[in-house]
Amino acid sequence: MTLRPATPATFRPARRTAPRPAVAKTKTVRRHRRGTDRKPRFAIAVTVLFFALLYVPIGVVILFSFNAQKSLTVFKDFSLRWYSDFFHDDALIASLGMSLRVSLVAMAGSMILGVALALGLVRSRSRLGSLAGLIMLVPLITPEIVTGVAAMLLFKGMGITLSTGTVMLAEITFSISYVTVILRSRIAALNPETEEAAMDLGASRWQALRLVTLPALLPSILASSVLVFALVFDDFVLAYFTTGVDPQPLSVRIYSAIRFGVEPTINAVGTLMLAGSIGLIALALFIPRLFGRRGGLDLLSGK
Amino acid sequence: MTAFLIASLVLVAALAFGTTDPLGNPRFGFNLDNIAAMADPAYRVVLLRSLGYAVLTCAICLVVAYPVAYAIALHGGRFKNLLIAAIVVPFFANYLVRMYGWSVVLSDDGPLLKALRSAGLADETTKILQTGGGVIAGLVYGFIVFMIIPLYAALERMDTSLIEAGRDLYGGPLRTFFFVTLPATRQGAAAGCVLVLLPAMGDFVSAQLMGGPDQIMIGNLIQDKFFQGQNWPLGSALTMLMMAVLFVGMIGYLRRARKDEAEAVR
Repeated sequence: MTLRPATPATFRPARRTAPRPAVAKTKTVRRHRRGTDRKPRFAIAVTVLFFALLYVPIGVVILFSFNAQKSLTVFKDFSLRWYSDFFHDDALIASLGMSLRVSLVAMAGSMILGVALALGLVRSRSRLGSLAGLIMLVPLITPEIVTGVAAMLLFKGMGITLSTGTVMLAEITFSISYVTVILRSRIAALNPETEEAAMDLGASRWQALRLVTLPALLPSILASSVLVFALVFDDFVLAYFTTGVDPQPLSVRIYSAIRFGVEPTINAVGTLMLAGSIGLIALALFIPRLFGRRGGLDLLSGK
Repeated sequence: MTAFLIASLVLVAALAFGTTDPLGNPRFGFNLDNIAAMADPAYRVVLLRSLGYAVLTCAICLVVAYPVAYAIALHGGRFKNLLIAAIVVPFFANYLVRMYGWSVVLSDDGPLLKALRSAGLADETTKILQTGGGVIAGLVYGFIVFMIIPLYAALERMDTSLIEAGRDLYGGPLRTFFFVTLPATRQGAAAGCVLVLLPAMGDFVSAQLMGGPDQIMIGNLIQDKFFQGQNWPLGSALTMLMMAVLFVGMIGYLRRARKDEAEAVR
């Protein structure tokens, strides 16, 4: 009897089919392994689309601010007529001036109070201090309309006529929260021993603060004041609730203009405002780097 | 200034129980009329609509922001900071101007609908503005950055070797995302949801520019009671109602966050 190769022959296909799924599996596994450093195509596609949708509206405003026609859908010829309209509109210029004044005052006021408050909050270990710290966070976590309504009611309740001054006061109150939040983390990161060393060397408490602590905080102070300026200048809701009749802040003016029909002058004003605030925010991000600190983004993310 | 804050908020709460005299001036008092008025089905519809729009906005923001934050945080390379700045900076520019530009883009003969029509995805009657979808589109555009930033921070902090481990254990990209990445960054997602929900709930610009008279949200009602209706007590009561709804959500979030923290410590 000769052993015929029939048995191996019948086995062979069986053996061949058995590993096949395994081969297919290792293939997919290998694909997944490689997948960790492969670019996630879906996420990147979404990101590209997101950036397009983020910038198209801004681009539209800028583009049509240079349109010779009144249309918002057809771009005809390049012209600066809406800009010249804006600069000849006394009411709009008055609003611009008021917004600038409010932002400057809010910047200065919230800076002085915010630095003092942040220093006080970090240094004081009392329960009242931490309560005040919590309350300062309230405007950041309430919808702005509530802050606006509340401020307006307080002014009216005290019999104060709404005016530029009330906008300033309300904006200062609101911006202190930003300044305090940004500065608190910076102050907490400071080394308290440097100030103690200064006092050991004969500096008074005030001198130590002025010569040691404040210079160390300077980048953060500058960056947050630029941030406050931009935020207050652009703020609409709080200004809307606390402003008097005339002149109104620029953003409130824009609000009434876009509610009652389209006016291309708004594109010009809007473009100028966009350029201004984007420039300021970029500056605020850049300031810490100027002083040799790494990255300014933690300013915005609150890290 | 802290006193200013407390005083103003207490005043809103107090005025919610007030009344208006025949001349329309607000009077303090203890009166439950405004609270009772909250039961009016008309208000309930608006409140539920606001809540619905805010939650939908939040969901859309989450779905869009995750891939964006993921792509930038884990695959942004040296452009990471630049890309995040490119997202953050425009969001600090004037809200109204951005919203206005967005409404031009979404308008009936605007670029987006034109493109959709030429692609055969929309016809002449398709509208975005003056619909609920328009309002939600406005809210998403307005507040999505508040979702991206915490998610980006969470993804950046995340231990990426976990993702590799997930892949090594034969998880596909989707499975790895849902069982590894998502749980690891859920605190960032939760913070983002709160940060989007709060302003979306109180916003009145989006409903005004993108919606129309039958799409009003609670913010529009409050604004109307203070500026057109001159019924401040009712406006205050509506403000308190909105705060109450948000407060319930916040409590839920805080309890959850505390639990997560406790687990992390253990």
